[in-house]
Formats: sequence, C-alpha cells, structure tokens
Amino acid sequence: MAITEKMTKTTTPTHWEGDIPVRFVYTYGLAGETFFRAIKDKGTFLATRCDACDVTFLPPKIYCDRCFEELDKFVDVGTIGHVDTFTVTFKNMDGSDKAKPRILAMIRIDGTDGGIIHYLEGISIEEVALGLPVKAIFKPKGQRKGGIEDIIGFGPVE
Amino acid sequence: MVKRVAIVGIGTTGFRPITPDVSYRELIFEAARKAYTDAGIEPSEVDGFIAAAEDFIEGYSICDEYCPDQIGAVLKPTHTIAGDFIQALAAGYMMIMTGAFKTVTVESHSKASNIKNVDEVLGFAFDPVYNRPLRETPHAIAGLEMTRYMFETCTSSEQCAKVVVKNKGNAMRNPYAAFGADISEKDVMNSEPISLPLHRLDIAPHADGAVVAVLADGDTALALTDAPIWIEGLGWCTDTPTLEMRDWGEAAYARIAAEMAYKMAGIADPVGMIDFAEICDEYSFKELQHMEALKLCRPGEAAHLLESGATSFTGRLPINVSGGALGVGHLFEASGAHKILELVEQLRGHAGARQIPDVNIGLAQVWRGVPTATGAVAILSNM
Repeated sequence: MAITEKMTKTTTPTHWEGDIPVRFVYTYGLAGETFFRAIKDKGTFLATRCDACDVTFLPPKIYCDRCFEELDKFVDVGTIGHVDTFTVTFKNMDGSDKAKPRILAMIRIDGTDGGIIHYLEGISIEEVALGLPVKAIFKPKGQRKGGIEDIIGFGPVE
Repeated sequence: MVKRVAIVGIGTTGFRPITPDVSYRELIFEAARKAYTDAGIEPSEVDGFIAAAEDFIEGYSICDEYCPDQIGAVLKPTHTIAGDFIQALAAGYMMIMTGAFKTVTVESHSKASNIKNVDEVLGFAFDPVYNRPLRETPHAIAGLEMTRYMFETCTSSEQCAKVVVKNKGNAMRNPYAAFGADISEKDVMNSEPISLPLHRLDIAPHADGAVVAVLADGDTALALTDAPIWIEGLGWCTDTPTLEMRDWGEAAYARIAAEMAYKMAGIADPVGMIDFAEICDEYSFKELQHMEALKLCRPGEAAHLLESGATSFTGRLPINVSGGALGVGHLFEASGAHKILELVEQLRGHAGARQIPDVNIGLAQVWRGVPTATGAVAILSNM
C-alpha cells in the first residue's frame, strides 16, 4: 500500500488536546535528609566521604559510585567554593522571557568533588569568572524549610 | 555461530518541523513499509522487534504497549528500549548474535510537534530535589557545559557558531532535512540569547519523523541483498545523573562509548580509519566536544579542524554532511536513527547531492540530550 493521500489544507488536520497530571512525593532518603537538615538547622553543607577512592560526594550519597562501598561518614565541608562554570539564563520554562537574566552557576564546594548548582547573587555578569570564590547565602533560619530553595544563591566571599 | 550482523533494509519519512496530517503511528508505518520493501521481506518473516521510545516524550504511560501494530510486530517478540535508537540497534545486534533470531526490526521516531511544553517535559528529567525546584530550562545545563568546554579548550562562541553555519549549509543538500539554511556566524551570534553563551541558533530545533531498520545475520543478509551494511562496532554508557559530580568540560560518556566501539571494530587509529562521521550536534559546541571525545582530534583541536575545512562536505573527515541535528532537526530518541540512516545511504552510495566519494567506514555517535549523560556509538562498513 502506498501512502498517496496527503492533506493540503492546514486547517483540516484535527487533534485532541490532553494532559498528564503527574503528582509525586520524592523521598529525600538518608543522605538527602541529613543534607537538608544541616542546611535548615546549621546553615552548612554535609558531604559523604569515601576514603578508599579519595572522593567527597556533595550532594552526599550513602554509597560510593566508584568502589560501591556503603558510606556512613558525613563531613561538614562549609559553604565556600568557586565557580566551576556558569550560564546566563534568559527564559522561563514556558519559553517566556525572564524579568531579568539570571546567572546560574555550578559551584564546586572547596574540599569536595561535587557542589551545588544555584544562582549567583550580588555578582554582575561582568564580574563573574571561572574560579571566582563564592559563599552560600541562606534564607533566615526561620524561613528555611529543608530544600534547595533554602539557599538564596552564592555571593562574594568577604 | 553468527559472525556478523548487517542492516539489510532502512526506511524513513524524512524529517519535518510539523506533521499535522498524520499520527505518530502513521509516521512509523510509512517508515516501516519502506524499510521492509527495501529489505525485500515482510514483517511476518521477521523474528524480533525493538522500538526506542520514552514515555514522557510520547505522552503515554507504558508507551511500549503502543509499539507493535505499526511495525508489524503484533503477537511477536517485541520490546522497547527507553533510550536512543543506537542503544536499540545494539540490543538487536545482541539478539541476532544469540543465534535465536535471524532478523530483527529496530524502530524509532519523533513526534515533537505533539508536545506543547517541551522544555517542561524535559525539565522533569532533572533531579526533583536538588535541581528541579530552580525551574531552569534544560538549555541552562547545556549553557553550563558550553562555558566550561570553551574555557578548557580555548574555543570561542564564534567558533561554535561556525558549526551551525556548516551544518545548516550541509542540510541544504539533504532532502530529508527540515532546517537547512544559508546563514553566517553573525546570524548565530545575533540570534536571541537563551542561556549564554547559547543563542537560539546554537540549539537544534525539534523535528518530526521516523526511521525503521531491518537487521539480519550474515547468511540471511547475503541472501537478501548484494549491499549489506555491516555493524562493525557498538558502544554505549551512562555517566552519573548527579550533575554536581560531573566533569563539565569533557563528554566522558562519548569517549568511553567510542572506546568500546573502536575495540569491537578493531580500530586502533580512528583518524586513519573513519571516512566520515555523523555526531551529535544538538547544541553547536557539542559537535566540537564530541569530536574530541571520539578521538577524531586532540582536546582543543576541534574548532581549528572545523575552521580549516577538514570537517566540511569536501574535507578529509566530513562531519554531519546530513546537516546534523542543527540542520535536520533534533529527533529525541530517533536522533541516532537519523545518523544511522545517513551512514547507510552514504555507504550504499545512495546519498545523492551529498554523497561523499569512496566511503567504506562511517561512525555515528549520539547523546541523549540534557540533562542526560548517555552516549552511544556505532561503526558501520560496506565491506
């Protein structure tokens, strides 16, 4: 059978509009709960450490993805790091323009092999550079809920 | 024991920005019908079937249940790979190598124009706890990668823009391509900023289309066709999903997948052996980053190779003569399918105005796109 019939009017094809409302709870797990509790209560970052592989995981994991051993040692790595890479974002999820462009950065937290992806605050596009030292800025303690949004962003280290 | 596996038939719809006249299953049927005609067999004679598809992109839960009809697989051994076509090709290769299947059909498609909120759907792929609450678009992740890649390799935005110029220009020779255009670097640099250093034209727009391939073991292949296209090498891997633990400058997923494919194909010197390559350019810089990961040049050399013309249609190592994703359109899990299609057409000498003379070995490489770190590589030959 050959497909020879083709529509030629753009108004002819019809369709049904549907959506998929998907709602979930995402369990933090042991590592996530420990990490977010430290942010909420102490304003600091906890990582896990694999001494055998010499890797420090941030966000923390309770297993080492290299040697596959269980990790149970959390270490306080503080809140200072440096800009590993960054981008200036102009768009919202729906494709509309942001009110103002924002600098999103991957912050490699000192003493870890990981870090946090978040916004730079109080740093202009002209000032931002790879390697720039930055420090986490948290919401006031009473406003923290135990999530990544407890971090406002990363700003200059005084 | 089966020694080799070949592609004995391939069919496509071609690729278009929208396809409002047909459903995605009708798109696939057209490609499948052409593939079976090309192979000279009917689906009733095919032993096994694989589709490459992903629920959220299809708009269905358990979308694999919707795969059999349009490829002729009802009540036959069928499964779906939630990955790229090249990963499905690897699964088909392995099915034939078991000796239990003589022929296997592999299908993939994109009906991107059905998705009303592509960025949001892809945004659901972010880690829901650490990354998704920021509500940044998937392009932001590509922007982060691009900055780091450019820093580590001393590559400029202008050089990345030259990838777009080359590939959209190549697409003008390709009747399947949806986004061919004659543009300049300035057009790219002056296009709307999305997630700097990424501009609108640095990003491959989505397209619709389907590709179906029929695989066969060596004996069956030689009985079916005088021109089997042999699968010589395959490789694939996935890096950690934890963005924060990644190396942002290097495409390790592509390097390791390539090493696996080169080893299987017995290729010690890729630059000397590979005649042409179709590699992932979903974002302009990705073509350059992937060239380095595939060892087609040394780190930091890709932009210079591009500027020298070596990777152009008439260069010594043509890359993305089809137009790549930037020129053909990004096809979700069918991205690798389009690259395999191009390899088959080139290796058969059927590529028309874009035919590269005297090609025997081609490489296809794909990445599953942001925020994934999955890569796959296939090496095909006509010898």
